[in-house]
Amino acid sequence: MTAIAVAPSLGHRVATTVRVHASNPWALFYTPAFITLGVFALNYAIWRTILLAAGDKPLAPDAFDYNGGVTWVMFYLVVVAVQAMNQTFSFTVGLGSTRRDYYLGTSAVFVALAVTFGGGIALMAGIERATSGWGVDGHFFAPGFLQSLPLWELALMYALALAMLMFVGAAAGSMFVRWAATGVIIFFGVLAVIAVAAIYLLVASSAAGPVLTWFGELTPLQAAASTLPVTIVSGVAGFLVLRRATPKG
Amino acid sequence: MDDGRPIFLQIAEQLESQIIDGSMREETQVPSINDLAAFHRINPATALKGVNLLVDAGILYKKRGIGMFIAEGARERLIAARTDAFQDHYVRPLVAQAKALGITPEQLRRMIGREAGQ
Amino acid sequence: MTAVIEAKGLTRHYGKVRAVEEVSFTVETDSICGLLGRNGAGKTTVMRLITGQEFASDGEVTVFGESPVENPAVLARTCFVRESQVYPDSFRGKHVLKAAAHLFPNWDADYAGRLVDEFRVPLNRRMKKMSRGQRSAVGVIVGLAARAELTLLDEPYAGLDAVARELFYDHLLADYSANPRTIVLSTHLIDEAARLLNHVVVVDGGRVLIDADADDLRGTAVTLVGGHAAIERFATGKEALGWDSVGGISSVTLAGLSDADKAAAVAAGLELAPVSLQQLIVNRTRNSIQEVRS
Repeated sequence: MTAIAVAPSLGHRVATTVRVHASNPWALFYTPAFITLGVFALNYAIWRTILLAAGDKPLAPDAFDYNGGVTWVMFYLVVVAVQAMNQTFSFTVGLGSTRRDYYLGTSAVFVALAVTFGGGIALMAGIERATSGWGVDGHFFAPGFLQSLPLWELALMYALALAMLMFVGAAAGSMFVRWAATGVIIFFGVLAVIAVAAIYLLVASSAAGPVLTWFGELTPLQAAASTLPVTIVSGVAGFLVLRRATPKG
Repeated sequence: MDDGRPIFLQIAEQLESQIIDGSMREETQVPSINDLAAFHRINPATALKGVNLLVDAGILYKKRGIGMFIAEGARERLIAARTDAFQDHYVRPLVAQAKALGITPEQLRRMIGREAGQ
Repeated sequence: MTAVIEAKGLTRHYGKVRAVEEVSFTVETDSICGLLGRNGAGKTTVMRLITGQEFASDGEVTVFGESPVENPAVLARTCFVRESQVYPDSFRGKHVLKAAAHLFPNWDADYAGRLVDEFRVPLNRRMKKMSRGQRSAVGVIVGLAARAELTLLDEPYAGLDAVARELFYDHLLADYSANPRTIVLSTHLIDEAARLLNHVVVVDGGRVLIDADADDLRGTAVTLVGGHAAIERFATGKEALGWDSVGGISSVTLAGLSDADKAAAVAAGLELAPVSLQQLIVNRTRNSIQEVRS
């Protein structure tokens, strides 16, 4: 009789999924990192061009203060999350992993990515400040009101925001895996309906004012932390959807 | 290997034929189950079934820890058994075929005589 | 002998499509079971149900006595390899073997390495870029080197050339002899695999058509060839699996002929020809289609 195999420990099983994801560092890490640097480089080039065009005329002190570049990258990571699930689910479960172990491993990878990129952006913001805005008073990694935020708060804020985005991506990814494109479209349609309904209710109940005021009084870190419920709900929803998904092939 | 008949029977018959024609002698070891299975590309359980047939018939016996051996007197017993079956397996189809061709029993006897005389 | 797999009334519907219908069978420990049938008969779906990758609409299946769905203890002892396996776009052969090494507790890396050399698999190439045969070879290597107590192989040699197929049978048999385990092999190429099988389950249109010991099945059918009239006379009242005729000669394949019947056939001047497992199964599945049509 072939040796009776004891089920590997939970840690080992989860690590298997993590390794499957990690075997493609380009999709998960290098590409988003290069996109970030690329968008930054583009912005820098634009700043320099403007400076050149301005010639001797001094620019407003906050000319290069506001910048949405970083947010594009953050949303790109949502796409990374959906793609990661789509690529690896059928393979890992097809080879014998349980859906639960797969989701735990994938969640661990997403948290790791959120922390890594959050820290990475904060690091770049640190260099940004140290170089007085890359020598041109430009603010890309910590634009606008984030300039005064301590670096560790910045890192945590970005990590929390990225975690939310990645877990929303995980939920969308689960829906894609289970119901294909139609399912995802329905998901975002329902989300839009809920959002519109919520806004309507807020306005109708005159609660809009107080809510916005409360929100405006939050520090950036507190605002990011307030997205935790969304992160958790997305994570749980993603799992509940994935539990009944079947691998392709 | 004939696909239309149980394979374990064919394994047993092949071993029997080898004992009868002398290529495997009494008190020598027959190939192991796994070797037989690998050689004929069959399931080991099937090979085992065939070998067990011969063990039950007293043609082979098992030496614990070593393997299967050909029993003493096996050849004689096999020849006797096959001679008994000879009529059914060979003579009957021969006669039937001869009849179909219209060969008379006399002609048949002469033909057999010619063959057997050689 | 205990049963490794026990399927009872297993059913899987996709809307109106009844992929698997009331399938019941048992697979004994350390047997080699052939799951045979035409393309689209439901073999892959049955295997997916056995490994908990597909959810049953009705009925149940137990593996090692438990439900396989989301059951890490059962799944750690099971390896399911198939031609239709999906791989991540970026995955190369070596990534598949690394993943397998982590997923299967009994994984034998040395054995896998030897198999890679024998099957000539380019480990550095992406799975997408490999030929069908090379992909199958990777699957076969995973199935063999995982040494899982229950190994399911779904059309494992699609695209393998004849040399590679022989290699596969030889390795399967050798490893099975040295490390006995339960193997379920699905294929529509019956003759090649026939001799390896202990047990045969034939699936047709989602249902179980035959469930028998391979040796019992072999020899249950015989083809009689002879003049039309003689054949007709002989075949009346017997279960005919197939008819054929050309000119004045007919052949009929009959099931369940006793030795006395066979002797009588010979005496009547009819010729007896053996019926291989493949012919037997082809005849039975062909007939079931005709039944459905009429």
